[in-house]
Amino acid sequence: MSKVHDLIIIGAGPAGLACAIYTTREYIDTVVFEKGVIGGLAAVTDVIDNYPGFPDGVGGLQLSDALQKQAERFGAKIEFGEVQKITKKDKVITLHTTDGDYKTKTVLVAIGSEYKKLDVPGEKEYYARGVHYCATCDGAFYKDKEIAVVGGGNSAIQESIFLTRYAKKIELLVRSTIKASSVLQKELQKYIDEGKIVVHLNTSVKEIKGENGLVNSVVINEDGKEEVMKVDGIFIFVGLIPNTGFLKDYVELDNIGLIKTDKNLMTNVPGIFAAGDVRSGATLQIASASGDGATAALRIREFLEHKKLATY
Amino acid sequence: MPKSVTIFTTNTCGYCSMVKKYLSNKGVSYKEVNLDDEPQRQQEALALSGVLTVPVTVVEKTDDSREVIVGYNLAKLAPAIA
Repeated sequence: MSKVHDLIIIGAGPAGLACAIYTTREYIDTVVFEKGVIGGLAAVTDVIDNYPGFPDGVGGLQLSDALQKQAERFGAKIEFGEVQKITKKDKVITLHTTDGDYKTKTVLVAIGSEYKKLDVPGEKEYYARGVHYCATCDGAFYKDKEIAVVGGGNSAIQESIFLTRYAKKIELLVRSTIKASSVLQKELQKYIDEGKIVVHLNTSVKEIKGENGLVNSVVINEDGKEEVMKVDGIFIFVGLIPNTGFLKDYVELDNIGLIKTDKNLMTNVPGIFAAGDVRSGATLQIASASGDGATAALRIREFLEHKKLATY
Repeated sequence: MPKSVTIFTTNTCGYCSMVKKYLSNKGVSYKEVNLDDEPQRQQEALALSGVLTVPVTVVEKTDDSREVIVGYNLAKLAPAIA
């Protein structure tokens, strides 16, 4: 029989790595699975200004590297692969991954979330040919060009500000009103005053159009009036969705697909925990994801020690 | 082992770091083209990949065939460098 680990963490974002730091320091045999980028969405964020301990903010990549090094210093093993299915027999949980099967006593699901799509014509067709969801990856292709950014939350504003280092003009398309933090709104105002960002409230995207395989315009509806806006690219930040399809029918999810947990961050399946953005009720902040990871680590330790988890 | 590997990257791209880390862990050396430093080579990256994104990894194999991998895609990257 293959080795049965103490804990397998699915997802090497802030929640997963924070948990790994805690568990490996206590000699709990821990493996972390990551299918994408270490650090998750944090790693592809330009600057994180609200993570405690960094008075001048911290680069997303820098924070992710530091979290990885800290977890590995205590012995966490990070494996690259995708978990496709979870099964449980007796008290052993099996993760069926692209790299084969792994057995474990406990699992922490910390897979975060991904950016939501607009679901409009042209979005799929022009993906990475003018339609983007990662400013830090693809912004460099838009030096001195005109682009649109869609969204009014923290991510949309933060990434718009980042993109001003490349684009000569940004049309910020906001479905209703801007909901980003007041600090970001104040920062945004500087770029509005300079004419680098133009805000369009009550504006939705109806279609993305192109020519010769690349985006050249978007059809928008602004205050009920439809028009064609010429842009070279469009960056979309309209919220997050969980990627919990592989857990459906096994772990209880809420109506938008986030994982339901009890106060110990344990799901309806004993031994399977959830932390970070993928947990129903999470506040979608990097600091709270890290806190979730630490809490989960303590509860997992109690579970492994066969202690009855407190229900307070 | 491939004959050569070239990665098109930018300074802030998290997925580019992942490709570089993966290749280093596998002992595969690579040349990096940083498009922030060499923006004039963006068209080259676009012509190779057909998309406006990084990382773009170009693997030249010993039989002189070439494979272009877009993004951090282990399912394609792992066999390409084997």
